[in-house]
Amino acid sequence: MKNLLIFILFLSLGFSQSKVSIQDKEIEINENEAVVEVLGMVCSMCAFGIGEGFAKTDFIDKSKFTDGVAVDIDAQYVQLGLLESTNINPEKIVQVIEDAGYDVNLLFILQNEKLTKFSTDKLGILQPIAFNLTSNFDN
Amino acid sequence: MLRKFFALIILFSAISAHPVIFKNGKVFWLSQNPSFNDIRFGVSKSSNWLIGGRFLEDRKSNETFALINNNYLAKRWNNRNSQANLYLLSSVGLNTKNSKSMGSIGIHGDWEDRRFMVMQMLEYYSHSSALVSNTRLAYSPYTVDYSKTSTWLIAHYRIEYSDNKYSYMLFPVVRLFKKNYLVEIGSNGGNTFLSFMTHF
Repeated sequence: MKNLLIFILFLSLGFSQSKVSIQDKEIEINENEAVVEVLGMVCSMCAFGIGEGFAKTDFIDKSKFTDGVAVDIDAQYVQLGLLESTNINPEKIVQVIEDAGYDVNLLFILQNEKLTKFSTDKLGILQPIAFNLTSNFDN
Repeated sequence: MLRKFFALIILFSAISAHPVIFKNGKVFWLSQNPSFNDIRFGVSKSSNWLIGGRFLEDRKSNETFALINNNYLAKRWNNRNSQANLYLLSSVGLNTKNSKSMGSIGIHGDWEDRRFMVMQMLEYYSHSSALVSNTRLAYSPYTVDYSKTSTWLIAHYRIEYSDNKYSYMLFPVVRLFKKNYLVEIGSNGGNTFLSFMTHF
């Protein structure tokens, strides 16, 4: 019993996980990950350019997903593995998407057990719009 | 003969190309049809400007041409589940044997989502004073995720106006692409072509 309690305590301290929603699709997001809704990403060639862009950055954890990036074209999002040591600047993520020719609508980052939701305003500037401690966000 | 040759260049050079790709992305493209072999290489210096070189071989006359392409994305509309673009296109080059120059300007608009695509392009060519219109309507019978092969069925309609005469051509094209590879096969009975393109 004591061992079980220690194990549960270990799990609760060691993992941070939440769920976010993009275009009515619920996505599981873990510690040191980001989920980006990409406007205009309608084909695999579009997504390829985004993957190439992230591959050249210094904040992607390539041990997650496929070289650090998972793509869902139907729901128009990419999920990124982030290096644990990096406190990501969300503008860096947006820059990669824009260099590929696309726009960010929503961005979720889960780091340091804090889930932050960003949205692009009418001027195209990314703004944090909500914070939470690893509970769920809806779109 | 020369006019037909250039008309074919215009036709087949335009219909497969993605005019601009991701920043620092490179495009390699091959095309072959009964009239010519066409090889292109381009680099997107930014997400809205691609510059590249092109080498053409006329398989009948054995003439060759060296060209520089300059494609500019004037405006892109990125929306949920769709994308629309407006491009400005230009090219300039020489006949490698007699150094005679040629140039073209064009405008290209398109809209696509996961199942449908519409494209319209207008170009003017100085060597033949030809105005060419290319129109495409495309449909993808199914959608696939990033790792699988996508199929598009395309109706391509072309009009050329030169020497106060119009000429028309309609032909079906099948496009297959997966990740960064694209293949197109088209035929209207009398003419067939193949093209291959990759981004990297």
